[in-house]
Amino acid sequence: MNPERIQDLFDLLGQVTGYIYPNEIEIHWSILVVVYPYVTGLVAGAFILASLVKVFKVKEVEPTYRLALLTALAFLLVAPLPLLLHLSQPMRSFEIFLTPNLTSAMAMFGFVYAWYLMAVLLLELWFEYRRDLVVLGKESTFPMSWIYRALSLFSTDVSDRAVAFDLKAIRMITIIGIPSAFLLHGYVGFIFGSVKANPWWSSVLMPIVFLMSAIVSGIALVVFLYMVLTSIRNQPIDMRCLDTIVSYLFYAVIVDFSLEALDFIHRLYQSEESVKILGTLITNKLFMSLFVLQILLGMIIPLGILVVARSRTFNDDMRKLLYFTSVILIQVGIFSTRWNVVIGGQLFSKSFRGLMAYKMEVMGIEGLLAALALLILPFVILTVFIRLLPTERMEDHVARTA
Amino acid sequence: MRIPEQIQRLAIVTAVIIGGVLLVRFVLIPRSLISDDLHRASTVQRELAKPIKFAGSTACQDCHEDVSSRVRKGYHKNLSCEGCHGPEARHAENPMEVKPFAPRDRKFCPLCHGYDPSRPTGFPQINPTAHNPIKPCITCHNPHDPVPLTAPQECSACHAQIQRTKAVSSHALLQCTTCHSVPAQHKKTPRSAWPSKPDTRAFCGGCHGKEATPKDAPKIDMSTHGGRFLCWQCHYPHLPEGRG
Repeated sequence: MNPERIQDLFDLLGQVTGYIYPNEIEIHWSILVVVYPYVTGLVAGAFILASLVKVFKVKEVEPTYRLALLTALAFLLVAPLPLLLHLSQPMRSFEIFLTPNLTSAMAMFGFVYAWYLMAVLLLELWFEYRRDLVVLGKESTFPMSWIYRALSLFSTDVSDRAVAFDLKAIRMITIIGIPSAFLLHGYVGFIFGSVKANPWWSSVLMPIVFLMSAIVSGIALVVFLYMVLTSIRNQPIDMRCLDTIVSYLFYAVIVDFSLEALDFIHRLYQSEESVKILGTLITNKLFMSLFVLQILLGMIIPLGILVVARSRTFNDDMRKLLYFTSVILIQVGIFSTRWNVVIGGQLFSKSFRGLMAYKMEVMGIEGLLAALALLILPFVILTVFIRLLPTERMEDHVARTA
Repeated sequence: MRIPEQIQRLAIVTAVIIGGVLLVRFVLIPRSLISDDLHRASTVQRELAKPIKFAGSTACQDCHEDVSSRVRKGYHKNLSCEGCHGPEARHAENPMEVKPFAPRDRKFCPLCHGYDPSRPTGFPQINPTAHNPIKPCITCHNPHDPVPLTAPQECSACHAQIQRTKAVSSHALLQCTTCHSVPAQHKKTPRSAWPSKPDTRAFCGGCHGKEATPKDAPKIDMSTHGGRFLCWQCHYPHLPEGRG
């Protein structure tokens, strides 16, 4: 280990309380492992929102359909990066691909990820955009025309019959896609939930709690992006669409809140031998991130805002303001949720008699800047996608502007 | 029925991807890397093909019976000859012309016997800059049967790490013998006679109990403090209440 790292660990000794084992001073799963479930959660949530349109035929949400799919893809492309950086030797991941371990829960990520990216998201996007890509390929000039033609796989058929086939295919893929999205994020919860030795993680509720919080964060992100995008483009916001999405968000937050409360009460009632140290953990090391950021700012206040926004009649601008505030607070809350699970689970000693501390690097490969870069990167990718691919069906666009 | 155009296009892409994966998996990647047998078994063949450099300790014993019987009785009995003398296959083949290497300067021995806090307690360690500087180790110690010239007077001669830790702790002024009784034999052959260690809570209570006489020692109520745990399960006696 390099001397600076050892010095950092020495500094941490002063913050240790109670009794810990010597090898517990170093927290191995850093902020990058917090970013990873956060990002995959956004993917799953955004996809679930998109599927509302196609499977459950919620017509009001249609304007955000393409945006939600592109958001899911942009974040999905970034999802494995935190794990690769966390490996310290990213090139070694090649060995994992060559010798897949079919019985390892962690290795399952590769399969689930590949399935979700190749068989669900890219396929659905291709069918959704195929007609527009053919048209754009014909209308634009070189070199864009070639890019569009290549993206459409040099397809040319835009007859009604072909377009009808596209729609049928999208519906089929979405039906397969919903369980796949559940699998993608449920799997992340499964990894944590199956760590028997860690009472903060080991819970069968974990995959479901992860999933619900993923849906909450994904929907909130798409609402945020939709509002930002329309204001950049100087377009009016479709308030019927926004109200509908926010009502889904509202129910999702309630379910998520209930599940987390259930988990909490269950632990308290079970009162296993770990309950004492977990009690100290949440009132001591996690007080700010759990009670203040996750529960108060990230859950109760946005829930209150949404209740007020729905129960009283405000004008459009006021509702927009309330929605915008609550979706940002929800993002802060869900990020804190991930932080509390990943970092919180490593802050107490396996002796159940002491607490450690986590000191985040700033510059290093697992530091704050790397994490911020990974959180910004999907937005950059999304900007490129939106520049390249229209977020509105071209037929609808023509109809609206006419 | 005509196959829709979309399916045709996607079928081509899928076929290219599957073909690419199969090509990489079955043609480009070396078989040993993905075989179900021992992982990368071919490396065994690669290593076997290298020339043999070590003769092995039995080859040494055949000619150097006197030295090897002496080594077997001393503290270096678990070391192999070629660990210090280097690979000697060529010497074993041609004893007269190829002479073995022997480390005779001061650089070699401190590789094992220079002070390093991570070495086991009691392992003979010296500070090379302070311990008879300039003199080669072999002027005083015979590496084939190494013994200290005189029995150590201080515990710190072998237990330097503990001594250094204790020196900065609040137990700095206590003698080792306050808590440990050391049989004389321990200084000659350390592992044949072990020093004693305190084994009851009452021992620590002798100074730290409520009614104990030393005034400076922090006092606790032995009947309530720490429950069923022994004192040294929470407090390290050589660095009690250490602050890093």
